[in-house]
Amino acid sequence: MRRRGRVPWLSYLLVGAGAVVTVVPFLDMLLTSFKGPGEYGRLPYRFLPEAFDLSNYREAFVRLNLPLLFRNSVVATAVITGSVLLTSSLAGYALAKLRFPGRDLIFRLVLATMMFPPFVFFIPHFLILVHWPLAGGNGPLGDGGAGLTVSIAALVMPFLVSGFGIFLMRQFIVSVPDEMLEAARIDGAGEFTVWWRIVVPQTRPVAVTLALLTFVGAWNEYIWALLVSTANPRLMTLPVGIQTLQSYLDPHRMVPVMMAGLMLSVLPVLLMFLLLQKHYIRGVMLSGLK
Amino acid sequence: MGRAGGRGRGVRAAGERARPAARRARHRCRQTAVAYLFLAPSLAFFAVFLLLPLLFAVLLSLSRWAGFDLADIRPAGVDNFAALFARGSSFLTPVLTNTLLYALGTVALALTGAVLVAHCITRLRFQGFWRTLYFLPIVTTVVAVGNVWKYMYEPGGLVNGVLNALGLRSVAFLQDPATALPSVVVVQAWASLGSAILILTAGLKAVPHSYYEAAELDGAGPFTVFTRITLPLLRPSLLFVCVTQFITGLQSFALIIVMTGEGGPGDATNVAALEMYQRAFKYGDWGSASAAALVLFVLVLVITLAQLWLFRRKGADG
Amino acid sequence: MKRRRVLAGLAGAAASAAGCGAPGRGGGGRPGDPVVLTLLSHYATDPLKSALQRVVDEWNAAHDRVHVRTTAVRFQDLLTTLMVRQAAGQGADIIHPYSLWAGQLAQAGVVRPAPSGDAARIERGFARPAVRAASVRGRPLGYPTEVQSYALYYNKRLLRAAGLAGPPRTWRELEETAYRTARRDRHGNTLVQGFGLSRTDDSTVVNQTLALLASRGGSFLHPDGTHSALDSPAGRAVFALERRLIDRGASDPGIDLMKAFPAGRVAMAVSGAWWTGSLKQTMGRDYRDVGVAPVPGPAPGNRGTVTTGFLLGVNAKSGHQREAWEFLRWLNDEVVPAGPGAGRAAAVRATRMSVLQMSVGTMTGRTGDMRALLAAGGDQNLGPFVDALDYATPEPNGPRAQKAKALLRKNIEEMWTGRHPPDAAVRNAVRQIDQELSR
Repeated sequence: MRRRGRVPWLSYLLVGAGAVVTVVPFLDMLLTSFKGPGEYGRLPYRFLPEAFDLSNYREAFVRLNLPLLFRNSVVATAVITGSVLLTSSLAGYALAKLRFPGRDLIFRLVLATMMFPPFVFFIPHFLILVHWPLAGGNGPLGDGGAGLTVSIAALVMPFLVSGFGIFLMRQFIVSVPDEMLEAARIDGAGEFTVWWRIVVPQTRPVAVTLALLTFVGAWNEYIWALLVSTANPRLMTLPVGIQTLQSYLDPHRMVPVMMAGLMLSVLPVLLMFLLLQKHYIRGVMLSGLK
Repeated sequence: MGRAGGRGRGVRAAGERARPAARRARHRCRQTAVAYLFLAPSLAFFAVFLLLPLLFAVLLSLSRWAGFDLADIRPAGVDNFAALFARGSSFLTPVLTNTLLYALGTVALALTGAVLVAHCITRLRFQGFWRTLYFLPIVTTVVAVGNVWKYMYEPGGLVNGVLNALGLRSVAFLQDPATALPSVVVVQAWASLGSAILILTAGLKAVPHSYYEAAELDGAGPFTVFTRITLPLLRPSLLFVCVTQFITGLQSFALIIVMTGEGGPGDATNVAALEMYQRAFKYGDWGSASAAALVLFVLVLVITLAQLWLFRRKGADG
Repeated sequence: MKRRRVLAGLAGAAASAAGCGAPGRGGGGRPGDPVVLTLLSHYATDPLKSALQRVVDEWNAAHDRVHVRTTAVRFQDLLTTLMVRQAAGQGADIIHPYSLWAGQLAQAGVVRPAPSGDAARIERGFARPAVRAASVRGRPLGYPTEVQSYALYYNKRLLRAAGLAGPPRTWRELEETAYRTARRDRHGNTLVQGFGLSRTDDSTVVNQTLALLASRGGSFLHPDGTHSALDSPAGRAVFALERRLIDRGASDPGIDLMKAFPAGRVAMAVSGAWWTGSLKQTMGRDYRDVGVAPVPGPAPGNRGTVTTGFLLGVNAKSGHQREAWEFLRWLNDEVVPAGPGAGRAAAVRATRMSVLQMSVGTMTGRTGDMRALLAAGGDQNLGPFVDALDYATPEPNGPRAQKAKALLRKNIEEMWTGRHPPDAAVRNAVRQIDQELSR
């Protein structure tokens, strides 16, 4: 609530100070990425670079296999986002608007999947992908070869379906008026047509939100991608590539070049966020209303 | 599954409009089939990537295995669990205690900060602008967040630069075991502040305006309003932030890998999930790694249920 | 070991992203195609990366039937990479692990003992500690490479500035030298460390502690490897020494030794032979200030230090065992003229691997090769390291050696940072290590 007449100085001070703490690390990342060799780490510390040195970016470009890293990140993120959207919408529709035995049970199971912490699955997921039958030189029992770790499938498989996505979609599809669906059915539309022609357009806003949440999550994912690219470096993604970069750099330049690399990986997402933040913010708010 | 098929079925259904009872029965039958068809990808996924892994994790935790040949899995009873809690094992202290401190610290910091900021933001102009600023860390990869802060904490970095400029001594944040864990906690809280603020803001907006007006008429000061009205009504949002951040805090180790590598100095920033990762993928000790994962899982479950119970009970009292 | 951070090079994530065929499946498999052997090492940055590539190119040019392809990751990621790739069925044909991991890799079935012919060559050609480091239960697993002994590096300029004529020869002199050379600014930031204790990595934390322990006649584990021997007068004395150095401001473990020493901000440090090559590159002209002396003992002339090393072995899962060993013999056992790349040493005969290691400023376990190459014009700072191979003891390499080392490191760090007093840290380390070794 805003009181008229009085400027809430204390609130401005507090929120402003917090915002400075939030933004300064980003500024430090940006400014450090322009610092010359040996300039970082010199005492006393200086916030601004002495000369804006663009060579760190050149160095990051040269050292990183950017085409490979971008390709892996983009393909993995796109496949995960597409799959989550599709499966969530289909399952959400079934759970919201179709009547069938076992519906409540399945819905409860979907809710339960959100309770499982991902690290429990970390080891088994890796083993399942390695021992995927009849893939990557494996026999029918899943032994003898490299399984799915030879392909980009390894990066995306564990993230193809999201319990939260199904839940979110279901909550929104419930509010699509039944009359619209019935009218279409009376016109002779099958359930798939009903879903595609009515449900999908009606839920576009929440789909955008879900897509953004999934996109940002997949783009920034680190631990699983680290493991997969340890097994097979051709599957390295941007965050992993940049983290690995530091071990190949001259220590005197390492920090500025790392920061330049980080700017390259962070910028696409930051720009997208600034453009579409309304949808993203709504997603986070929705996730809190479970 | 194609659109043509769906339409074909629809056409036939239209032709059967004459006999309602039979039609309804067949319709229900068809709906069941369609529903399961729509659910099939998701259910198959959960079977392969949720159910099977759970069973696998339990099996491995009771086995001894170097990780290479499925035929080499040997039963080991509860040895792996016993070893985790044996005398001299570092799993209970400091690894598990670190895990709890990490989660607790993150929640406490993020929640306090978020309540204050969310409350104050509603009094400001350009709320969207402020929120955008607070939100930046969330859309940034942990690799960026971790590295930027790691370098800010270094002797020649920003934080010590500010301390020195104020005439204070430098602090070896990540090198000193007394400060290493709190230093990482601050970063984790910093990174999760944004989403907490948003969820609390959503909660605040749901508080009816009439409550505040009534309080103002009664002459209540801003502090009373905050403690008597805002906080109690925020309970559901607070609960959500608390539970989710705690779960995240208990299991996250990406930030720790980036900032302190193997959980150093000493074991000062080693947490259970990192310990599990190293046991499996570095030392090839898959059995005890799975056992560690399950112990952590039970811990997460117990703490989550306890939180739900506590909040619910307080809700009933108040 | 931070050595691979050294300097510029092609490397980068890009380099490590190249090539990762599963063992035994290289070459497309059509009859007549060459067999492709993959080799995984930590030679990810120059000069090591291109030095290895040069030799491999030489092999590939001379052999139509068997080709070798190199892949590399940084040392800190090497063990995880070996284990994960093996678990994923994508292990390299030829692997180059740290000898500390020999027991763990042998137990997991990643490497098997070398064939008898190669085993005999290894035992004949290499110094005793090098063979022991590369063996499990008395049988060598592969050719020892890059054998490191540990000695005392010192900065002559900083010692002179403190009025000291030469390096310390005893523990007491070491302490005095450390206190006299250390300097700090008014904010408490360290300007010069007297003795460089550093949390940078295992080698700076554990290996220098083990070297000091050996110089005092102590050891880390009992000979049978089942429990720790650290709780001894020697063990307690080393811990107490390090604690004193920190308390009295002569050491600052928070500072990265690998950056600080080349920058002239560390007077003394214990490190391996490989560091000479790295320092020469980073320090340029200032390298003439660097001196090397044996690790000081309790009294002048008492000697003892630790050795570590790597080994080149063949993956037990590789489908090309014979070809792989053939390549390793060519690389590590065939004695050839050192060649034009070796400068004044061109006339000397040594193995290709010895020449390679010498060219990047480090060593192999072939004492004879090393002495000959050194005499013909190598870096004289390497002398004390070669000498140390006669009296040094290798790190124990049982199935849980890396884990035991990690536990030791954590307890040393707890002691350095004042969490535990030295004696309690020794006891704590022994308890944790014994529990781990008993599993």
